[in-house]
Amino acid sequence: MMNRISEVPTAAPPSLQRLARTTAVALVVAVVILLTTVLPAEYAIDPLGTGRWLGLTDIASPPVNPVEEMRPAGAALKPIAKGPISEYPRDFMLDVYDITLQPYEYVEYKYHLEQGATMMYSWKASAPLLQDFHGERESGATDGGPAEESFDKQDRREATGSLTAPFTGIHGWYWENPTGTPITVRLTSSGFYGSAIEIRSDRTRHPRVLKPIDVLASLPSEPAATAR
Amino acid sequence: MTRRFMIAVGIVAMMLSVTPAWAHDDYRIIGTVLKVSAGKLDVKQTKDGKTISMKTDQATIVTRDKKKVSNAELKVGTNVVVDARGDSLQDLLVLEVKIVPAPTAK
Repeated sequence: MMNRISEVPTAAPPSLQRLARTTAVALVVAVVILLTTVLPAEYAIDPLGTGRWLGLTDIASPPVNPVEEMRPAGAALKPIAKGPISEYPRDFMLDVYDITLQPYEYVEYKYHLEQGATMMYSWKASAPLLQDFHGERESGATDGGPAEESFDKQDRREATGSLTAPFTGIHGWYWENPTGTPITVRLTSSGFYGSAIEIRSDRTRHPRVLKPIDVLASLPSEPAATAR
Repeated sequence: MTRRFMIAVGIVAMMLSVTPAWAHDDYRIIGTVLKVSAGKLDVKQTKDGKTISMKTDQATIVTRDKKKVSNAELKVGTNVVVDARGDSLQDLLVLEVKIVPAPTAK
């Protein structure tokens, strides 16, 4: 029994010279693969030109094909819903509106929004006011709704929120000073509104000039396009 | 048939003719009573000193602190806030006269 085990043939170990040669061949193959395939495909580094020839550099830097933006000048700011996002044909606008309401005066300040368009707002007054946040449908609206609809009608000193216009028309605030002392109000808003109007208690209407977003001096300049 | 058609046309024409009467605006006049008489109220506006003459009728109400009071409380010099309806400042019908404390400058 012992004799049979001792008869199993054993392979001779490779010589040091052969090991060195095999390792060197493996290294050369690895370097060739690295230079011809891995670097071009992963990092767009193509020292031998094989990456371009094999089409591997496109994997590292795929061409950018931006969606063609349809932004016709003067188009209504009507949102196009795409799941949870809404896209608009123009940039949003900014507005800061300050007013001092003399004793017992009122004012209405409203933005024109298309149905579904959104705006964000914050306003604060120096004392509580009678206020009515509401919307007026455009004349000739055919949705059968009332001419005016209140969204929030209660005495307030401040409010912060957002509005998604339930119908096309002008949307905004009625603020009334119920006291014998002047009250100041500041409204800050941004949104996809096309115009704003102030309606005073003498029924005169005063259109407001709105600011596009690029007036913000604090914004950094647009980064220059870089080609890779 | 022709008669019915003519009546319908007449009704529509009448409705169209009264439409402008509905196109009134609400105005607010803030000031002091300058003159008060049956069917008429003159108020001197605080903001520009102009006198606004307005009509009053049976439906016109006078209030103080949101409570209705007698028309006799309207006297010359009373501070008032007038809500009126009409086509312009020259053609207003008073809906409500609120008697208010004199405004104070801040």
